[in-house]
Amino acid sequence: MCRSKASIRQAVRPYCFIIPPYMLKEVAKREEGAMREHALESLAVSAQLRGQRAVLGLLPQAMTAFAVGGKSRNVFDAHHTEDLPGKLVRREGDKATRDKAVNEAYTYAGVTYDFYKKIFNRNSVDARGMRLDSTVHYDVNFDNAFWNGNQMVYGDGDGVIFQRFTKCLDVIGHELTHGVTQFEAGLVYRGQPGALNESFSDVFGSMIKQWRLKQKADKADWVIGEGLFTPQINGVGIRSMSNPGTAYDDPKLGKDPQPADMKHYFKGSADNYGVHINSGIPNRAFYLTAVELGGYSWDKAGKIWYVALRDRIRPSTNFAQAAQILIAVARDLYGVNSAAEKAVTKAWKAVGVL
Amino acid sequence: MQISFERSGGFAGVTLRADVDVDALSAADAKRVTKMIQDADFFDLPKRLTAASPQPDRFQYKITITDKGKQKTVTTDDQTAPESLKPLIRYLNQQAHA
Repeated sequence: MCRSKASIRQAVRPYCFIIPPYMLKEVAKREEGAMREHALESLAVSAQLRGQRAVLGLLPQAMTAFAVGGKSRNVFDAHHTEDLPGKLVRREGDKATRDKAVNEAYTYAGVTYDFYKKIFNRNSVDARGMRLDSTVHYDVNFDNAFWNGNQMVYGDGDGVIFQRFTKCLDVIGHELTHGVTQFEAGLVYRGQPGALNESFSDVFGSMIKQWRLKQKADKADWVIGEGLFTPQINGVGIRSMSNPGTAYDDPKLGKDPQPADMKHYFKGSADNYGVHINSGIPNRAFYLTAVELGGYSWDKAGKIWYVALRDRIRPSTNFAQAAQILIAVARDLYGVNSAAEKAVTKAWKAVGVL
Repeated sequence: MQISFERSGGFAGVTLRADVDVDALSAADAKRVTKMIQDADFFDLPKRLTAASPQPDRFQYKITITDKGKQKTVTTDDQTAPESLKPLIRYLNQQAHA
């Protein structure tokens, strides 16, 4: 549409509401300097007008990182308040502190950065070297970790059910992958697109852990958040990708509610229509593909899932569409009737999506 | 007055519930909880106070209160819940279990 940088630079500012947001996002993602600034400005204004908050996630970057950087991490301490980001306690290159949560957030954000860079040649969550900010000690006895559109936030856990959320590398990989999804596929966080959003976070979180442990697919535990529960809880972790629905069964928590196939699909409205529940179905499709292909999960299965997330999945993609996209990517990368194409197809049939 | 509470979502996706019969609480607790409900203007809140673009892994809440024949359900989340409602959510979170 736009032939030169100069023409976009002139066009974006006066006609910011004519250029559709998806194009502005592309400009913001792929360009630098003044043009990127204008695109981001336009996005912010049009987002405010349309009441869409998702694109605002692009903004802090505009203020902090025009130049493409490398690995850059900041860890903040909220000192048990809900104020974000809190006090800066460790910057990139600083030596370890005495605080375990600070050091884990720093180290595991680094492992996640290295995984994306070395395996997929991706420079941070936005592919442009966005600084990775983490806040630890959020709120009091906070039983959660989340991605707020700009940064990761970790609670200390209540000590009865959950320990601190920085303890697990796959939890940190999960949160950062929400950032990748936000900048790429933009999967809406509700229903099936939301469950796919969750699943991509588990898939990459699990792969990052396997990569650090140098584990092949058939040797990995395929458990998300192993060690996050206190020893008093009867469970191996938060979710099982190989056997969804079997991760825990405890009086304090109930039984793991994840379905392993479409027959047991959760239809309720809780959890944004089951984003952390129905993610068991696409999670298992990834596990089945990785094990069928053998070797390291990130070599083939991971590459297929990554290329799909980056280039083909859209904000409203559902399970059946995701399955077709992943099969098409497998075919494009490894050939028609390749083992990869067959493995992906077989996996989505096994979980009842195809 | 009866309160029925559900917390869902969060990284772990564990759904917890609480049922509180305010009339069965101690006088001091009943007074405290009743004040939280009044301070939140609960019966005048919109039914849905949820984010247009939910932040990943945050908690969602569904609160139903029945009082003298009137009943109201409010669905909200950590991102959007008004400050005035947070003390009640905090209290109900403490009561919630599987």
